[in-house]
Order: sequence, then C-alpha cells, then structure tokens
Amino acid sequence: MADLYSNNYLIVAIFFILGLALPIGALTAGRFLRPNNPIAEKRTTYESGMEPIGGSWVQFNVKYYIYALLFVVFDVETIFLYPWAVAYDQLGLFALVEMLIFVTLLVIGLIYAWKKKVLEWD
Amino acid sequence: MTVPLASYLLVALILFCIGLYGALTKRNAVIVLLSMELMLNAVNINLVAFAKFGAFANLTGQIFSLFSITLAAAEVAVGLAILISLYRNRRTVNVDEMDLLKR
Amino acid sequence: MESRWGPLAQYDWSVMAPEFTILIVATLISVIDLLMPNHSNRRPLAWLGIVGSLLAGWFVLQNTGHGVVEILNGSYRVDAFGNVFKLIFLAGTIFTLLMSINYLNRGGVKEEEKVVDHGEFYYLTLTALLGSMIMSSSADAITLFVGLELLSISSYILVGTRKKHLLSNESAFKYVVSGSIASATVLYGISFLYGLTGTTNLFEMADRLGQAYMAGNALLIYIAFFLTFVGLSFKISSVPYHMWAPDVYQGAPTPITAFLSVVSKAAGFALIIRFFITAFRSVVDYNAANGPHSVLISELLLVVGILAAISMIVGNTLALRQTNIKRMMAYSSIAQAGYILVPFATLTSLIFEQTVFYLIAYLLMNMGAFAIIMIVTGDRETEDIRSFAGLYHRAPFLAIAMTFFLLSLAGIPISAGFFGKFYIFMSSLVMGNYWLAGIMIATSVVSYYYYFGIIRQMYMRPGETEAPLRVPAGIAVIVLIAFIGTVGVGIVPDSVLNFIHANFPLMDLIEAAGQ
Repeated sequence: MADLYSNNYLIVAIFFILGLALPIGALTAGRFLRPNNPIAEKRTTYESGMEPIGGSWVQFNVKYYIYALLFVVFDVETIFLYPWAVAYDQLGLFALVEMLIFVTLLVIGLIYAWKKKVLEWD
Repeated sequence: MTVPLASYLLVALILFCIGLYGALTKRNAVIVLLSMELMLNAVNINLVAFAKFGAFANLTGQIFSLFSITLAAAEVAVGLAILISLYRNRRTVNVDEMDLLKR
Repeated sequence: MESRWGPLAQYDWSVMAPEFTILIVATLISVIDLLMPNHSNRRPLAWLGIVGSLLAGWFVLQNTGHGVVEILNGSYRVDAFGNVFKLIFLAGTIFTLLMSINYLNRGGVKEEEKVVDHGEFYYLTLTALLGSMIMSSSADAITLFVGLELLSISSYILVGTRKKHLLSNESAFKYVVSGSIASATVLYGISFLYGLTGTTNLFEMADRLGQAYMAGNALLIYIAFFLTFVGLSFKISSVPYHMWAPDVYQGAPTPITAFLSVVSKAAGFALIIRFFITAFRSVVDYNAANGPHSVLISELLLVVGILAAISMIVGNTLALRQTNIKRMMAYSSIAQAGYILVPFATLTSLIFEQTVFYLIAYLLMNMGAFAIIMIVTGDRETEDIRSFAGLYHRAPFLAIAMTFFLLSLAGIPISAGFFGKFYIFMSSLVMGNYWLAGIMIATSVVSYYYYFGIIRQMYMRPGETEAPLRVPAGIAVIVLIAFIGTVGVGIVPDSVLNFIHANFPLMDLIEAAGQ
C-alpha cells in the first residue's frame, strides 16, 4: 500500500520536475540561439499589442461582441459532435448522414455570417 | 469521502436564487444576461448531480445538461445581439432607462 | 442492412414529414435569401413559406387517423392531440405570413420603423413554427424543451426585427430577459422531476412519480409542478408570468404580435396540457382521509384555477385603461389565456375538445382583428384607439368584420367566441366550480366595456378623414376567411365540436404507442 502511494508521488514529482525543466530549458536554449537587439519597441510588455496603461474601464469596440457571439455559437454547437463520435460504432451510417445534415446547417450559419460581413473587421 | 446529493442541490439552489435576484434587480443589462446564465447553470448542476447520485442514476441527466448548455448559449447570444442593436440606438445598457413602453 | 445503416434506420421516419417539410423550406429560404441580390423584393420567399406550410398541413392530414406512432423512444410522437394543434399552428403561420407580406411592403413608412431584413423575417417565422410543432408532438422532456426554446429564440429575434426602432429594440430585450428567466424556471422544475424519476420520458416519468409520491417526496413534486407551471405560463401569458405581454405586443411588428398571441400561445397550451396530464396523472394519494384521490385533480389544479381566475381579473381590468390598441389586445389576450386555462383547471372528460374548440375560435377572431388593426394603425400612423374613429364610413366591410371579431372576443352570442366560452362555462358548472364560473361571467361583462369602446369609435366618432381605406388583397382574404370562420363556427358550433370529437381522438394523448 505504501508502495502505491510513493509511486503516485513519484509521478507527481516527475511532472513537477518536467514542469520546471521545460520552460527553463526552452528559455536557456532561446537565450543562446536568438540575436540580441534590445530596441525600445522590443522592451514593451506586448510587442504587437496596446500599451497596458490607463484605467481598466475602457470601452471595447462593439465588434468584439459580435466575434464572441459567433465563437460561442459555433464552439458550443460542437458539443453534440463528441457524444456522436464516442457512440459512432453503435450508431451506424444513418447517424453519419444525420450528423452531416447538422454540420451542413452549421455551415449555412457560417455562410450567413460571411455574407453579412461579420467576418471582416472594417 | 463522498459529498451527499443534498449539498449539490443546495449549491444549485443558492446559484439559482442569486441568478434570479441579479436578473430582477441589476441595473446593467450585461449583468442581467450573466445572471440568467447563472440560473441556467444552477439547473445544469442539478441535472448532473441527479445523474450521478440520484435515486435513478443514469446518463440522461448529462445529455439533458448538454442540451441546456447549448440552448443557454444560443439564448444569451440572441440577448446580446438585441442589446447591441438597442445600444446603437439608445446609447445605454441600463435597464432602468428602458422605459419607453410605460404608459 | 442493420449492421451498415445502424439501428436508427429502423424507425419510420416518414411520420416526421410535416417537420421535415418546414425545416427544408426554412433552410431553403435562408439560403436563397443569402444568394439573392440585396435590393430585390423578398415577396416570393414568403409565398414559398406559405406553400411549404400548406404542404406540411397536407402531411399532417396524412398522419391523422393512424393511431399513435412513436419513434426514437418517444422523443417524437404522432397522435391526434399533436396533429390538431399542428393544424392550428400551420393555419396561424399562414395568416401571419400573409399579413407580413403586406406589412413589410407597405409604403409611406418612416425609415426607422422599417424591418431591415425581409428574408430573415420569413424564415424565422417558419423556425418558430417548427419549434411549436415539436412542442406539440413529443413525449420526452428534452425534446419538448428544445422545441420550446426554438420557438422562443426565433420569436425574440422576430420581435426585434425593426432594428432601428427603439420601441422594438426595447420590447425585444424585455422579451429575451423575461423569456430566459422563464425557461430557466421550467428547466429547474424539470430537473427535479428528472431527479425523482431518473427519466425524461413522460410515460416512464408518470409511473415513477406515483411511486415517488408514495415514498414521501410530495413536497418536491409540488415544487417541481409549480416551478414548471410558472415558467410555462410565460408562453401562454397568464398570471403569474404575464407582465411581458403588453410591452412586447406593443413593440413587436403587428404580424408578430398576432403570431405571439395565437401560435405561440397555442403551443404553450399544447405543452402544458400534454406535459402535466401525462406526467402527473398517476400521482395518487392513497392515504387521504376520504379515500384515494388524484393529487393533480384535487390539489394542483385548484391552484391553476386560482391563477386562471386572477388572469381573467388582471387582464380585463387593466385593459380598461389602455389607449394603445395593441396594449389593449395584450391585456385581452391575458384574459383569454385565463379562460382557456379553465378546462385544464376543471379537468372534465371534454377538456381537449373544449380547449381545441376555443383555440380555433381564438385563432380566427384574433387573426382577423390583428389584420384589421395592422391596416388601420398603419394608415393613421398611430396605435391609439382613436385611429379607429369613423372606420365605418371609410371601409364599411372592415368595420362590420371588426365588430364581429370584437363581439366574438367579448363572448356575445352568436359567435365562435361565445360558444367557446359557453362550453367552458358549462363544464366548470358541471364540475361544481361555481366560483370560477362566476368570475368568468363577471370579468366577461367587464370586458364588454373596452371591446365596445372600439366599436363606439368605429361607428359613432367622426374620423379625421373620410377617405376610403384601401385594403390590400392579402388582408382582405385573411379578414374574409376569419369572418366566415367566426360566423360559421358560431352558427354550427355543435357540428364543429362533433367533427373534432369524431376525427381526432384527443384522449390518445395518454396512450402508449402501438395500441
């Protein structure tokens, strides 16, 4: 019994060491491989993002919401693909046809978003 | 150690009540939508708890909660879309300023 | 064959033909709408929708008279109860689409009051129809709930289709919020029923609920019943979940107001009656002092009766002080929901026939009234009741038809609405519910006042203009059909009731499949 427990902790320890070693190893390797060119632009927190200065109560562009809506709907509808994939062997070809119909309906939704120019930023 | 069914139901009940309270009293429309999500998620906790620890434990409850998650997402997506079009015309998300339909 | 196509191919999918038709037509319309050039007229799409609904109606008639058929372990179920409701929904949707064609293409509308996307308007009406059809023909809580949400979500968008119109935006948002709270409440109630029974199939649920009651879970059963009923009362706009109705009815485009007040409400009744009667019928109290009695009949439905009475009182009294015609119709529809709940609350053997009869009468009179309201308010550009002033001199036939619809809504003989109310009234007397019958009579008398207010405007008040009102052909057809129907059903009510009774054995609601 004690054996089992120590084995379990062994696994935890391996993961712990791996978790430490991987980023340290990667960063050290990067340090030797990358060219060193510290200009002002490179020293900002997010090189290609916005300057994170000011209050946190900024107004977001309303387009973020539309993107989020699109993401949520497609992301959540794929829930139905998982049970279907797990039970695929028992369900047979008929279920494949049904799922194709379902995916087709989702694709029509995507075409809708495309035609309504939701996928373009400007 | 297993947690008894009653505690899950209690958590769900508390969540449901918080959601209902928020949906009825909050001023910001986005928070109202969030509160509705809380209510629906309370239901999901209930369903999954019953599916695991109920008197007749079976998978149906989990399937039901999958459906309720997707429907909740669709509902809130529509709610947000309507809120955006309202905001474009009215420039407010405060529920107490939506009073044009009073007589 | 079995190994290749799998067990799902064994079912007789042809019974789902009505739903498939609507689904295919709605998908087709949405694809065509996307491919069409932006500024071309979307009118043909509406006609496609109407043809699809007629075809679906024909398939429903093909399904009628073959007994109960269940596929997918009761998830989908064809029975006479579902079929008759589907015919009501299809008729209501065809009326709505006919009204929409005129509503969307009328001239002289301010830019902000226009519906932005006509194609969406048509196919969302069809998906809402599909949702209500699913609500009326399933014996599984999951499927019923999915149908309910399909109807709700489609109608949220339909209410808000006038995207630039503030009132429309606001009413759509109120509708979404109250609707989502209602569905969460329904779902919370169903989750307890699932917990007590471990199934979502209504027939299995019925057996196990009876056992659960005997095992001492009575309190949970009461809680589940009331949560579910309160949530579902949103769909039929009765007390305690009625306060959204005036705001939403006022802000929605008029054809959608008609759709909500007829199709959506009928779907709510189909779901309420099927769900509660099927699932709660074997909850029996064997230990009561005066012998075994059904808990549904003796305890739960008493509360439904009280709520129905409050609906009648609230709807009819608040309608008195309305000046906006659509708000007034909203309060009137709250009161009507109270009347239609009475057969369910008294639960006689004729409950199905009475409910269906009243809903058919309600479909005819309400659709006719809303068609006329749409024309008149669109012409006068105000929704005030005064827009009806002098209508008799402007369009005599319209005024006479409107008078009939209002008399029918008020329940004055000889009209369809009168007999609908009369049958309900008699059944509550027979069952000894004198207080409910009394409240029905009293509130009906109150309702005369505001219905007659409109009639007074039409005949006795001078209008701002005497110019003849031009009635488009589509509206004229609706008014004519509704008028003939209202008068016809009023003249031969017994034959209609007997026809329903003979051709639709509605009691098969609680029969298992294959009998």
